[in-house]
Amino acid sequence: MRVYFFGTCIGSMVFSNTCVNAIKLLQREGAEVIFKKDQTCCGQPSYNSGYYEESKKVALYNMELFKGSEPIIIPSGSCTGMMKVDYIELFEGTEHEEQARKFSNRIYELSEFLDKVLQVKYNDLGEKTKVTWHSNCHALRVAKCIDSAKNLIRSLKNVELIELEREEECCGFGGTFSIKEPEISNAMVSQKIKDIQSRNVEYMLSADAGCLLNISGAMQKQGVNVQTMHLYDFIAQRIGIRG
Amino acid sequence: MSEALKQKYHNIVSQKLEDKQLRKNLLSVMDTLKGNRKKLIASRFYDWEALREQGKTLKQKNLAKLDTLLEKFESKAKENGFIVHWAKNSDEANNIVLDIMRKNNINKILKGKSMASEETHLNAFLKARGLNPIETDLGEIIIQLIDEPPVHIVAPAIHKNRYQIGEIFRDKLGAPLESEPEKLNEIARTHLRKEFKDFKLGLSGVNFAIANEGAIWLLENEGNGRMSTTACDIHVAFCGIEKVIETFEEASILNALLIPSATGAPVTCYNNIITSPRKEGELDGPKEVHIIILDNNRSNMLKDSHYYRALSCIRCGTCLNHCPVYDKIGGHAYLSTYPGPIGEVISPQLFGLNKFSPMLDLCSLCGRCSEVCPVKIPLAELIRDLRSERVGQGRKGVVGTDSSTQNKAEIKAMQSFMQIATNPKKWRLLLAMADFLSPLSKTFAPLIPGLKTWTKYRELPKLNGNLHQKVSKMQGVIYE
Repeated sequence: MRVYFFGTCIGSMVFSNTCVNAIKLLQREGAEVIFKKDQTCCGQPSYNSGYYEESKKVALYNMELFKGSEPIIIPSGSCTGMMKVDYIELFEGTEHEEQARKFSNRIYELSEFLDKVLQVKYNDLGEKTKVTWHSNCHALRVAKCIDSAKNLIRSLKNVELIELEREEECCGFGGTFSIKEPEISNAMVSQKIKDIQSRNVEYMLSADAGCLLNISGAMQKQGVNVQTMHLYDFIAQRIGIRG
Repeated sequence: MSEALKQKYHNIVSQKLEDKQLRKNLLSVMDTLKGNRKKLIASRFYDWEALREQGKTLKQKNLAKLDTLLEKFESKAKENGFIVHWAKNSDEANNIVLDIMRKNNINKILKGKSMASEETHLNAFLKARGLNPIETDLGEIIIQLIDEPPVHIVAPAIHKNRYQIGEIFRDKLGAPLESEPEKLNEIARTHLRKEFKDFKLGLSGVNFAIANEGAIWLLENEGNGRMSTTACDIHVAFCGIEKVIETFEEASILNALLIPSATGAPVTCYNNIITSPRKEGELDGPKEVHIIILDNNRSNMLKDSHYYRALSCIRCGTCLNHCPVYDKIGGHAYLSTYPGPIGEVISPQLFGLNKFSPMLDLCSLCGRCSEVCPVKIPLAELIRDLRSERVGQGRKGVVGTDSSTQNKAEIKAMQSFMQIATNPKKWRLLLAMADFLSPLSKTFAPLIPGLKTWTKYRELPKLNGNLHQKVSKMQGVIYE
């Protein structure tokens, strides 16, 4: 099976090892991964600020770049929501609507692809540990792929998943929101951190680079000592893939 | 958007965030309301989602033929003996109340809960003319005593805890200091009974106006709504045009969605269905009932292919209860009668985008509001759409749309973003630069605007870029 891999902008800039691990997780299941060297960003920054014209241009660029019939795998629920759901909305009632719908059918968040399409079975090689999980808002409510991420965590036999009380509450990242409203964003992430601390876990996992940057950055600033890790780095570590 | 307006929002947001008591009160009440709703839906409803779908469909169907429904409602209501008024805007609505008061020589009005009359600022309007509006809803009494607007659509004084309310009653009503809810209720009741004695004019809102019967339906929990609408000589009901629906069955469906969403209770204590003024031979009820049907730019919303859905709102307030921003800053920080997610959607449209556009930033687009809205208004989508109106890329039908809301620097930044994101060479150069500069970013972060705000509350991440080089060397990857 051939699949496209879309590394996302934060993935390319900050989380390159996570992208490498994500690709290895796909290869491990026998997938042949195509990485388009001209890939850029899904267009969410301009879309969420209401710049629909600019976003359409980025979306058209992506739909052209990833043409064909191969599935497009993204290690981020947020970008998945954008390319799978928001592109359709963006082109609603225009000549590109049908193209966006077809494109949407090929988009998968990685955990969803591993869990539902490839139905992976992992042999957990790690020590016993406790983790908690932060649901990214767009993964939860737009891409709707959180169940798969949790299924993968739960399938690891030495990992105990302890859910957050405020799991479904936004961490305050929201892309440009964290820059435009830093005080409110800080209040939101601080509440999230309190919740994480209350769980007494070794790791806080999430499958979204934006949320992780926000939560881990604020934890560091506040001197909170819980490790944060991207889901795909965590799985790779548990099953013995070296990053 | 004007810097002064943005600054005004910034100041009030900071002020509310620093108010620790407010934050504590809001968090605790919102957690309770959310928890109650969740438990109730899980235990009492076997298919809440289907009910939501039904609510959404029926509201949208009714909005699609609102003009004929309004005509039908008017004619049926008139047949029943109601006096129906049409108000294009706040001023017209307030003047109708003023005329009724002057004609009947009345200088005091007792008000049940009505957000529409908050929207028209009726209290200030009447007070400026020497008349006396008195709130009778417990929450409204509390905030009227301290001269504040409602902080929440359903629970107007939810930002005050019982100890603070006890102090307000002591200071403003001369009551003994109490903090037990029963005792506080008793103080309010004693205070109100004096006012209810021999009052002539009562005012209320309308939850559902039923076109087929020409009747109005009011929900409340305290009984003061019943007093305000039945123990007076004249009753005036404020009704937004979108409250009109076709049948009682539809009202029952909406009622079943509204109460659990609002408070997590299965039903309200009082359902007041008013079908006419006092008829001959009847012993009580007002002799005259006026219904003021208020537009205030709602018909303009109705015209838009997306925004019309916001008129489905049944004012349950659950989007506020679930909003992670609202529970940090409270309703007053939105500087509008309608706060929270639904407020962000309707306030700019009712009162002008140029006056309320900064409130559109009080949202991280997490989408939780859309997820819980009982009539499935896509609130987050509409907030984003309104942002596009703000930058001049929408359908441009929102009132108060002008270039004053545009941020020139942001427009430039987004255009550059688009150019780089559609040009792979530039994009790769940007990635390479970021990777190269990353060791220095900590030093320069305070000088770069976006990074400066970011690093105020968070450490910078250790950039781990260079993805292209890594991937191009990976075995088995087709790098093309």
